[in-house]
Amino acid sequence: MIEVIKPGLETSIQDYPGRIGYWAQGFPPSGPMDSWSFRLANLLVGNSADAAGLECQFVGPALKFRDATVIAVCGADMKPTLEGQSVPMWESVAVGAGQTLALSFATVGARAYIAVAGGIDTPSWLGSRSTFHKAGVGGMEGHALKAGQVLPVGTGDGTPGRKAKAEARPLFATEKIWHVEVVAGPNDDWVDEAGHQRFLSSDWKLSAKSDRTGFRLEGPQWTFTAKATNKAPEHGSEPSNIIDQGYPLGAINLAGQTPIILVNDGPSMGGFINPYTVPSAAFWKLGQARPAEILRFKAVSAEEAQALRREIDRACSQRNIT
Amino acid sequence: MAEDVTTQVPGNVWKVLVKPGDKVNPGDVLFILEVMKTEVAHEATQAGTVKAVNIEEGQEGVDAGTVAVIID
Repeated sequence: MIEVIKPGLETSIQDYPGRIGYWAQGFPPSGPMDSWSFRLANLLVGNSADAAGLECQFVGPALKFRDATVIAVCGADMKPTLEGQSVPMWESVAVGAGQTLALSFATVGARAYIAVAGGIDTPSWLGSRSTFHKAGVGGMEGHALKAGQVLPVGTGDGTPGRKAKAEARPLFATEKIWHVEVVAGPNDDWVDEAGHQRFLSSDWKLSAKSDRTGFRLEGPQWTFTAKATNKAPEHGSEPSNIIDQGYPLGAINLAGQTPIILVNDGPSMGGFINPYTVPSAAFWKLGQARPAEILRFKAVSAEEAQALRREIDRACSQRNIT
Repeated sequence: MAEDVTTQVPGNVWKVLVKPGDKVNPGDVLFILEVMKTEVAHEATQAGTVKAVNIEEGQEGVDAGTVAVIID
């Protein structure tokens, strides 16, 4: 059992790949925004791939462990301490009964992940323990952690001192520029050639008004083809309006002139066009990008995006844990 | 003893609730940042007088670790 002393800014229980199979009913997958770091944390403590852990956003929690266990902290560096002593990241660490793990705030990256041997053992809902706070489901009572809550932990047998190889870890953009892959479509034919050029060659600033639903971007204006400007009135009055359609996960959703990347807790449908889609292999970058940092987009094919995902899958394997 | 109150999150400055010369007590909210559509209140941890305020309402893209308010 783990007692929540301080909850952090918005710390939630997540598992990977999350709540899969209900997108058609409007339920997003949720799950960790940076699933690469999350999966390495689980591997370090000897958990099964589907074990639930904690996602800490910007400011981490303070947690008191009632029982001795093994933990690992991966992702953004929030200067984790155990009983006031600094603990290494990307490494499994023994925790004694009654000890407190405290995370501070991140100065590089945005999200840290805490895995506990045995996993967080809250009830599964529609096949996942992931928190989806908008619907109030999954996780701990459907929402982010609150002070005083006690988290159940499953049975595990972690080994301290195991490390994730440096080359198997995600590389954070310390220079505050993230190169993010995009696949064209589904509505790329609504944007004109100049619009595509502008999108792919401009700096896009990540807005502070971004969360696990969507990542809002600030940048230049979009221009459109006749498909957007000369269309049946039922599509709507704005060029970016379209008759309600299904959205892909990772859609770069153009709300008027503002692109919003729809991420893990995003909507499954709506009435705006999606000229590009961020593939799942690049989601970890979004999960670690901080407000005011720059995103630059690079067009890749669906096959290239799938190859990138397989690369991350290979990085997240026991042979990279030593 | 002086206290430097640093920002805990990167984001936008939503509200600044103190100005130089104000007396503050531990727990008083000094300023509120906005990140992830969430208001993040920053409080004083000790009593004193506000000596300097280095942020202003509406300011965007303030990084975490910035000294925002100095209390003397």
